[in-house]
Amino acid sequence: MRTDTLIRALAADTQPAPRPARLLVAGGPVALGLALIGLWLVLGPRDDLVASLGVPQSALRFVLSAALALIGLRMVLTLARPEGRGLVRLWPLAAVGMAAAGLVAWAWLVTPPDARQMALTGKTIQTCLVTIPILSILPVAVILTALRRGATTAPALAGFAAGLCGSAAAAVIYALHCTEDSPLFYVTWYGLAMLGVTAVATLVGARLLRW
Amino acid sequence: MDDWGKLLTRANAGDARAYEQFLRAIAPVLRGIVRSRGANLGEAGCEDVVQEILLAVHLKRHTWQQDAPVRPWLYAITRYKIADAFRARGQRVHLPLEDFVEDLPADAGPCPTEAADMARMIGMLDARAAEIVTMIGLKGASAAETGQALSMSEGAVRVALHRALKTLAILCERHVK
Repeated sequence: MRTDTLIRALAADTQPAPRPARLLVAGGPVALGLALIGLWLVLGPRDDLVASLGVPQSALRFVLSAALALIGLRMVLTLARPEGRGLVRLWPLAAVGMAAAGLVAWAWLVTPPDARQMALTGKTIQTCLVTIPILSILPVAVILTALRRGATTAPALAGFAAGLCGSAAAAVIYALHCTEDSPLFYVTWYGLAMLGVTAVATLVGARLLRW
Repeated sequence: MDDWGKLLTRANAGDARAYEQFLRAIAPVLRGIVRSRGANLGEAGCEDVVQEILLAVHLKRHTWQQDAPVRPWLYAITRYKIADAFRARGQRVHLPLEDFVEDLPADAGPCPTEAADMARMIGMLDARAAEIVTMIGLKGASAAETGQALSMSEGAVRVALHRALKTLAILCERHVK
């Protein structure tokens, strides 16, 4: 086949293709809304939610998770473009990671030695490790679908960004229910749940986001 | 905005003529890049890769942002597709080492005539889709004319053409694996 022939066939195909961001704008809020409704109906928000937001070490759960979600979203939007691979920056992620590590170190120091074990294990490890991944499913699926419409040249990294963004958003939602206020607990277990989701999304992305 | 940017902007707004102009403008540049990297593939082999890149550019043309320069976008797609295509051919055709040594660098030369892979993959489409791609591409028929010949509506032809091109890209992708 001559290249000329192909070019003529391509030029005749004028079907408009949707931009990847559009699906994210439309589907993202829906996925988050459903996850929020699910959490609200099944587990419910914690009773002292409003009061807990006034306690810095508790409110930081939201801040750290939301920061990771926004960093992940930015990475997703960058990596959806072919040239995004060279433009994506990892240092904001490292910065939040360092902040979280610093918070854990601080909590370790201010928690009395005999209370550390309790603060770390809390009472809800299982709920946390199950709920955050479940809440992640829809957001991560929407992001991966949007990325498929894009043209990433770094499929695994894009999958990573999708997992990070989706699971961090899920952590924000889960934090509405969770009553564990020690950074020793939430940095460790939220972090582990997000890590698991992100690892799976990276593997899925490496296969699914090729084109 | 440079010439390519202007053409692609109009193309993405639905201007088929600007789009064809854009594709004709980038094809020789892509050909030069592929040949400089893959001299050992031969002229027709390089053209296969060029066609794969053009198909990828086509299906991903909406990922170009109007305020961004075209070249980094285009070259990122090109690099990605070249890596894929060369990997596929490395597995498929095992070129003996001497061939690499003896091969001369590609000279710009005239536009090559035929490439084999795309025709073969069009053969793997269902008969009607293959006919639509050939009629429009080879004979330069419009969607309306093609529709008349195949007793389909013009809209149905456009949809079928779009599907056929997407399927071709999937077939290209599959032979990578």
